[in-house]
Amino acid sequence: MLSLRLSGIGIRYPGLAGPVLHIDSLDIAAGARVALTGPSGSGKSTLVNVITGLMRPDTGQVLWDGTDIASLAEGARDRWRGRNVGLVMQDFHLFPGLSALENVLLPARLARAADRGLIARAGMLLEQVGLRRPDQSVETMSRGEMQRVAVARALLRGPGVIVADEPTASLDPANGAAIGALLLDLSARYGTTLIVVSHDPRLTALLPRRIALADGGIVSDTVEEQA
Amino acid sequence: MLRFIFADLRHFRLGALVVVVLIALSVALGTAVTLQERALRLGSARASEKFDLVVGAPGSETQLVLSTVFLQTAALPLMPGDVLTSLTEDPRVAWAAPVGFGDSHAGYPIVGTTTALVNGTSQGFLTGRVFAAEGEAVAGAAVNLAEGETITPTHGQLGQGGHSHGGISYRIVGKLQPTGTPWDRAILVPIQAVWHVHDLEAGHAHEEEGHADSDGAEHDHDHRHAAAKEAAHEDHGSAGKAHEDHDADHEDVLFDPDAPLAEDWHGRDLPGLPAILVKPVSFADAYKLRQSYRERPDTVAVFPGEVLTGLYAMLGDARQVLAAVVTGTQALIAAALLLVAVIHVGQRRRQIGALRAFGAPRGAIFSIVWGELFALFAIGIAVGLALGYLAAVLMSRAFAMRQGFALPVEFAPEDLVGLAILLVAAALIPLLPALLAWRQPLVSSLRG
Repeated sequence: MLSLRLSGIGIRYPGLAGPVLHIDSLDIAAGARVALTGPSGSGKSTLVNVITGLMRPDTGQVLWDGTDIASLAEGARDRWRGRNVGLVMQDFHLFPGLSALENVLLPARLARAADRGLIARAGMLLEQVGLRRPDQSVETMSRGEMQRVAVARALLRGPGVIVADEPTASLDPANGAAIGALLLDLSARYGTTLIVVSHDPRLTALLPRRIALADGGIVSDTVEEQA
Repeated sequence: MLRFIFADLRHFRLGALVVVVLIALSVALGTAVTLQERALRLGSARASEKFDLVVGAPGSETQLVLSTVFLQTAALPLMPGDVLTSLTEDPRVAWAAPVGFGDSHAGYPIVGTTTALVNGTSQGFLTGRVFAAEGEAVAGAAVNLAEGETITPTHGQLGQGGHSHGGISYRIVGKLQPTGTPWDRAILVPIQAVWHVHDLEAGHAHEEEGHADSDGAEHDHDHRHAAAKEAAHEDHGSAGKAHEDHDADHEDVLFDPDAPLAEDWHGRDLPGLPAILVKPVSFADAYKLRQSYRERPDTVAVFPGEVLTGLYAMLGDARQVLAAVVTGTQALIAAALLLVAVIHVGQRRRQIGALRAFGAPRGAIFSIVWGELFALFAIGIAVGLALGYLAAVLMSRAFAMRQGFALPVEFAPEDLVGLAILLVAAALIPLLPALLAWRQPLVSSLRG
């Protein structure tokens, strides 16, 4: 479970008048469940890239439990992300020719982190996302099943945070709802911080804290009191 | 990681196959050229092994070697018959044997010679024995004739204006062990029989001697006519045969299949000869003999090995040209594949980016791209080596069927250098696309 503190984040692209992203200060507590919303071009994806270490901000600090990943070199950021972040994307990014289980294990295997325990965990996670056949080739799966594989992959290494970027946008409503429920359920079960970027109101409605972005800045930040 | 590489290659199997085929063909081309050139060199060197020194009339030394060692049909100029006498009586000579060409049977050259040559160059008999009478013949291992069969010689080659010698026949009395040389396709008969078949009596055509040098290149029999008649007459006179009543122009006038062989040339007036094969007693004698028969105005002496070395130098030049062409082809293919690989990596930016986003280290991405390409290149090289070897073997086999001598296809230690260069290239070329994949910016590759 990781907490996030952003301070003085600024990203500019040459040729653009305003900054793509400017966030003076943002705190997300460990274990929080947060929705990031906003129209396209508002900076949601850039923010995801910054907090997952896929991109380094021009200025500012990205502190995850006190570690400033903005100051890490590229290889170190990759390693940090591999250990601490579970990513779920709109496109599933599964690799054809491999089974569901092999897809779940692939990044860990390439990072030489897949030991016997992790392989067992991969099988268990596939079961928890509702897939009964770990040896099924991913090409033969439905989109909903593929996203379930992606969720299992995100959880494999016991990340402190799950970042989901439009996880339901390419799914039909029923599958979208199922994936949303899985993300909430599993992040609660494993105690991970959950950050979901989405413009799907049914999904964002499930998350207690909602941060709205526009033109690269935070325009609203509301917390719904839950029973 | 290997599992992933296999799955990925299976996914792109058509492209992978094309890459392997391209590399295999270019490698096969180079392998076949190298192997075949070496086979030709080895094969011809082995074919000339038993031919230490060849003495002939002045003319093309290369043609003299090609005709005697490889039995290539060509009219050779003739030297005086007494050269054979003086060679056989020379203490530096172990044995010397005349070689007479011109006739053939069913495409097999008929070579007139002596028992000395048969015993000196062959490795024994499969069946039978050496010829002992004028009408007997010995067949080479590749001649499709069995002991006991009878053949009628054709003057020249049938289909090339040759005519058959009516009434003349040889009986095969022995079949030689294979030697892997063109002589495996030869039918060996007593030289005396060749002379008699062609009515080569010394004195019969003395008047022809004047135009022998110009005309004789085409009809060497006429030359032998000029020199051989008297000796032959005497032979038959002493053998008690009465041939005088026969028409002297008739071909079989002197040929007597039952006549014993007379291989002692001393004191006889022999017909002109196209070539004499000489086995010197020692290495030093070989050089001395060559020297003395080069100094004579009417003879030339050559070491076939030396003449072949000159031919190999030419062959080597041709091989270098071919090798340059092959290298150029391989470079073009390497460049094309490099381009394809770079484009392919570019097309898979998103996939590569995703792998990294999910936690695969850059080093692993680099290894995958490099490993996949190297695997394809290595397979292509292996298949190419096999294909090239196969092609060389098939070419050698076809050649052996036509020419009768074996072209041994074998790898040599220096091939390892070529293989090492190929493998190094196969290892270096994929570094570029691998490096591009490694360097590729993460975020732009995910959005696209």
